[in-house]
Amino acid sequence: MKPLGGPKDSRGGTATDGDPWKAHVLLQLRRRDREQCRRFRDLVCAYSGLLDKSGATDWILASGRRGAVSPSRAQLKKAAGELAYQVVERQQQMKMQDDVLEEQRDRLLQDERRLAGARDLRLQLRLRAERLGERNGRLKAEYDALMERQGRAERRLREEKLRGSGLLEDVMALKRQAAARLNQRNHRRSRAQDVNLQKELQTAATSQVNVDSSLGGARWRCLALKKKPAEKSPAEIQADFLLLPFLRSAPASHVSPRIPASIRDLFERRRGRSRPAAEEEEPARPVRVPAAARVPGRALHVLEAHEQGVNAAAFCPSSALLASAGTDRVVKVWQVRAGALRHQTTLDGSTEGLTCVQFDPTGHRILAGSYDKSALLWCLDRPVAKLTLTGHGRKVTAARFSRHQVVTGSADGTVRMWDLQRAACVHLAQASSFCSDVVCSENVAISGHFDRKIRLWDTRLSSCVRCLSAQGKVTSLDLSADGRHLLSCCRDDGLQLLDVRRWSHRGAAFRAEGFKCASDSTKVAISPDACFVAAGSADGAVYVWNVSAGNLEARLADNHSASVSAVCWSSSGEYAASVDKKGRAVLWSDL
Amino acid sequence: MADDKDVLRDVWFGRIPACFTLNQDEETEREAEPYYLLLPRVSYLTLVTDKVKKHFLRVMRAEDVGEMWFEYEGTPLKWHYPIGVLFDLHASNSILPWSITVHFKNFPGQDLLHCMSSSVVEAHFMSSIKEADALKHKSQVVNDMQKKDHKQLWMGLQNDKFEQFWAMNRKLMEYPTEEAGFRYIPFRIYQVNGTHTSTPLILESSQGTEKRYQVVIHGIEPLMETPLQWLSEHLSHPDNFLHICVVPAPSD
Repeated sequence: MKPLGGPKDSRGGTATDGDPWKAHVLLQLRRRDREQCRRFRDLVCAYSGLLDKSGATDWILASGRRGAVSPSRAQLKKAAGELAYQVVERQQQMKMQDDVLEEQRDRLLQDERRLAGARDLRLQLRLRAERLGERNGRLKAEYDALMERQGRAERRLREEKLRGSGLLEDVMALKRQAAARLNQRNHRRSRAQDVNLQKELQTAATSQVNVDSSLGGARWRCLALKKKPAEKSPAEIQADFLLLPFLRSAPASHVSPRIPASIRDLFERRRGRSRPAAEEEEPARPVRVPAAARVPGRALHVLEAHEQGVNAAAFCPSSALLASAGTDRVVKVWQVRAGALRHQTTLDGSTEGLTCVQFDPTGHRILAGSYDKSALLWCLDRPVAKLTLTGHGRKVTAARFSRHQVVTGSADGTVRMWDLQRAACVHLAQASSFCSDVVCSENVAISGHFDRKIRLWDTRLSSCVRCLSAQGKVTSLDLSADGRHLLSCCRDDGLQLLDVRRWSHRGAAFRAEGFKCASDSTKVAISPDACFVAAGSADGAVYVWNVSAGNLEARLADNHSASVSAVCWSSSGEYAASVDKKGRAVLWSDL
Repeated sequence: MADDKDVLRDVWFGRIPACFTLNQDEETEREAEPYYLLLPRVSYLTLVTDKVKKHFLRVMRAEDVGEMWFEYEGTPLKWHYPIGVLFDLHASNSILPWSITVHFKNFPGQDLLHCMSSSVVEAHFMSSIKEADALKHKSQVVNDMQKKDHKQLWMGLQNDKFEQFWAMNRKLMEYPTEEAGFRYIPFRIYQVNGTHTSTPLILESSQGTEKRYQVVIHGIEPLMETPLQWLSEHLSHPDNFLHICVVPAPSD
């Protein structure tokens, strides 16, 4: 039963469309269909139709022949009745159908209306959706923009932070440098002191041998001690001397820096205890006794006081000392003795130039304002700053003692009151204008500003009590010894006297031909008895006016080669001093 | 494959125009008109001639009607051969339409099988399918089919529904992918003398000389190099046999 041989595989390789045998089969089948089928299809259909029709006619004819004989009239009538009934029935049915049709049409109409409504609704919804989509898009865009802005802001914040930390590091480095410099200077100074002390001790030791046995020697010692202006009590001196032999035995290099420190500490403590008592006696201090001022007429001493410009100068209440503050960052203290200035000590610690200087009423402490945004307080016997008052945003232009407080004015437009015990700012007054100078009286501070205003502050409330207009930018203020007269200097080259109690200007401004206010910080002075006022001019001359007469009393030229930056009057009225921008100081008197 | 599907369609929808005329000897009430019909090649005569019977019965007296049988040029047509095979075998070279004579008496019992209803044709058809599947798949496919699947095959043929038939017949035409084809190809070969055989037939390859025989399947002559497996899949009759007619080549 094996089939005929032939290619066995059917699908694998042979099923491609290109096989000739397959094409042949298809072609043959098509041809077969064309010849046998299609040609006859219509013919056969037509014939069948014809046949059916002819068959039907045959049948009708046949039945017609058969039925013509049989039906009676009655049967016909019956059939007609039945047909009529059927017609009526059909008509009824048609009516019902019409009704149904009508109903359906109505329903269709309603549906169409509803459909239209739904379409409208859909349109509206689509519009709303579009609007919402738009709004969403806008919001998204805004959101993106905000995000971007936030990103930028954050980046900037980071950069700023980085810069801030960089700046902080710079500041730290600068501070470290300053500290190192300070340390170096301190070290040098302490070594010099050591050497001095050693020398003194040696002389003391040799003299002690002479004096030890005799009573007269002791008296001499007492006399010698009395001669010294220092406050050391005899008991302390004794302690000093008693200590010396023991200390000597130790190696000098190790002990020497420490001894003076310890001894000084001892003194400090003593003095610290005794000072409040001194301050309590303030009303009785000699400063407040107004002495008759003399018109300066002659330069007693001219010297190059500072390496750079001198910005301020002040006498101590006892008139024995003069302090000058310069751009070279130091305060120099001078002894005024026999009409000459002798350098006593140099106080440093500021990292920038100094703007002002003042002694406290007892004459032991010195206060100075600095460009480094701080005010510094020294004790006269120590060259290192005791306190540094920081907090101002710009340079400190004025710093004054006010009983137990210190009042400072700054270029940042604020006036601050500081408690020296705590070394902290206790009050802050906002003036919102460059403060150029401050003076203090009982419980009040008066400040001069660049907005041509002189403001009176209550130091207890730190509020502005009064305000008075000046003629120009106020460069400096000075108060007479009795605190009743206030002298102000303005950039319009005029000095004005103010009655503090009535808070009004007194008389006309003091002006003079040739007098020119040199800078924004030119400092003027009123004599302690309020009879004269003095001011330095841009041409290097010092002008002195008589207050009661209002005329120019003197013009002192030829001693300054640069503009005079400050003038001050000693409290005794005996001396006046002027300093200029080239570092020169001149001591004046009437002699 | 589009071509293969086209082949299947062409095979299924192959039609032969036929003209049925009543035998002269039949006694009629009046003269019978001839009846024209397009016969489907893949179907069986008794399945598609209900209309013919109805047509001629109109003119016949009921008492004269016996079992209907058909004859072409003196040869009784065996209803259990597919119509296409009958045509290819006996009338492939005659003029169309194929004119068939319809008889209602003198049934030639020695030549034809009786066919009283379509269930006889169904039994014959199903047995052919089973036989073919026995050859192709050891009867595995046809035995796995359910009764309704068999019914679907038969109804597809009876109602001339190509899609319905082939939805099921497709399974019978599949073979395992690891094998190259069917185990055996079921086929039948018919010769002019009227017998059909399943025994091998040696065709003299008369190359050079005149061709004496035509090998006809579905009215066409496939090329000799056509793969047998493909032929079996695509040119088989619905009974899954490849019916091949070997007829003498036309002399002209």
